[in-house]
Amino acid sequence: MNDTSSKASIVGAYESPRRQATRLHPFALQMECISGALADAGLSLSDVDGLCVAAGDWAEGGGVSSLTEFAEYAGIKPTYFDSTDVGGCSYIVHAGHAAAAIAARLADVVVISYASCPRWWPLNTPSFDPFVLPAGPGQFELPYGPTLISAYAMFAQRHMAIYGTTSEQLAKVAVTFRQHAANNPDARFRTPLTIDDVLGSAMIATPLRKLDCCVVTDGGGAIVMTSRERARDCRSKPVHLAGFGTAVARTQISQIDHDLTTPAAISGPRAFAMAGVGHADIDVAQLYDAFTITPMLALEDLGFCAKGESGAFVDDGHLTLGGMLPSNTDGGGLSSNHPGKRGIFTMIEGVRQLRGEGPGVQVPNAEVALVHGLGGTFCAAATAILTV
Amino acid sequence: MTALSSPVTDIVSDPFWKATQAGKLLIQRCPVTGRHQWYPRAHSIYAPEATPEWVEASGRGTVFSFSTIHRGNGPIEAPYTCALVMLEEGVLILSRLDGIAEEEVQVGIPVVVTFTSSPDGTALPVFRRREAQP
Repeated sequence: MNDTSSKASIVGAYESPRRQATRLHPFALQMECISGALADAGLSLSDVDGLCVAAGDWAEGGGVSSLTEFAEYAGIKPTYFDSTDVGGCSYIVHAGHAAAAIAARLADVVVISYASCPRWWPLNTPSFDPFVLPAGPGQFELPYGPTLISAYAMFAQRHMAIYGTTSEQLAKVAVTFRQHAANNPDARFRTPLTIDDVLGSAMIATPLRKLDCCVVTDGGGAIVMTSRERARDCRSKPVHLAGFGTAVARTQISQIDHDLTTPAAISGPRAFAMAGVGHADIDVAQLYDAFTITPMLALEDLGFCAKGESGAFVDDGHLTLGGMLPSNTDGGGLSSNHPGKRGIFTMIEGVRQLRGEGPGVQVPNAEVALVHGLGGTFCAAATAILTV
Repeated sequence: MTALSSPVTDIVSDPFWKATQAGKLLIQRCPVTGRHQWYPRAHSIYAPEATPEWVEASGRGTVFSFSTIHRGNGPIEAPYTCALVMLEEGVLILSRLDGIAEEEVQVGIPVVVTFTSSPDGTALPVFRRREAQP
């Protein structure tokens, strides 16, 4: 085990049951989540000396100084802080950084929190689809009107053309995660889906249809991390951050790897190496699923199947109980919740699985969880391996 | 929204936008390695100390991938098709397809550059179908 990673544990985790939080400011929702996570750990706000918040994006409530804004709102003066914002996986990145900070004794108790309220947020705060300005590099792309979804769609379209992946295989991802959501009382949608339901839903950006896209919910979550030593005194069963890896690769659509490799191919091996585990050791995975194509590319780049073979992997039922890699056991972003940057929820569900508390489907006796997120349109990636 | 989508040009990109007004598509080439790069930058990504030189692209390429946007959120009326075009010079460029019916678009079809004028007067390179070379 790597020295840096093995010294930190997750001792608190809380996901808000809210899916609609009309007129509740995202900062207030974040505080609910922090309180929940601290209570889970048996700690209080006065124990917290580290704060990780990236709340400056649309509907997250803050501006470019969201960390100081939120620390003030919370009423704390943290000495370790991180507002790295590389999109949806930012909170997995924060966990990796926090582990290093805890090992270096820069921090003792770190809270990582997130909330966003896209269902009621009234301001057109700066967020240009897909997240860039029509200046500098963006001057060559924004004038064409690409949407965030169309960027993912171009990955999917190319994947279908060169590997023979089908719309049915993409749909199977949504259908599988909906099965997992059926038992999750908080999931946004729980009614079972069929492949035909997905194929019959409205086309958004070819080849992605409405049910290939994540749900849009308000929501939030938080985790609490501390040293393995201190974790022994906490209320809940500690989950160790055994390994993590991060990578950033690009932003503009034109800069994608010609073979569709995403930075998961960098973050994944680093996380596995640090944790000292292999693919066969992973009992359960949480794979960021903004769109059906998203976890498919993660499966390939993390090495769970060969490049181009994720369609068959999904089709064979490997993402559900009894398969090689039960994934998104809470229903994921495609069914449970997706306020915008859902990386925090992949961490929370990873923790719940290792405690035997999964609200959707529970993998029996899970001991090793892989949590993976991406940011932007496969621009950044973060992978964490959790153990008990 | 319309104003946001107009390119904010700068002193590095001026030659590019000036050329599009004249119906030419410029890309950059590294003077050290000879490799092409897209998008235009002040430095070569292959030899960062070198200043790239402008060269005229053939304008020919193939559709690497595409997406027809049925639900847009900007000033352009849907549906429209954004595409990644692999230029003959080996670089990928994001653009839009012009005059090709949605059902005729496929990965791999040959395309050639043409220019449309934006409301702000910018000449924007887009791509239309071309007959494949024998």
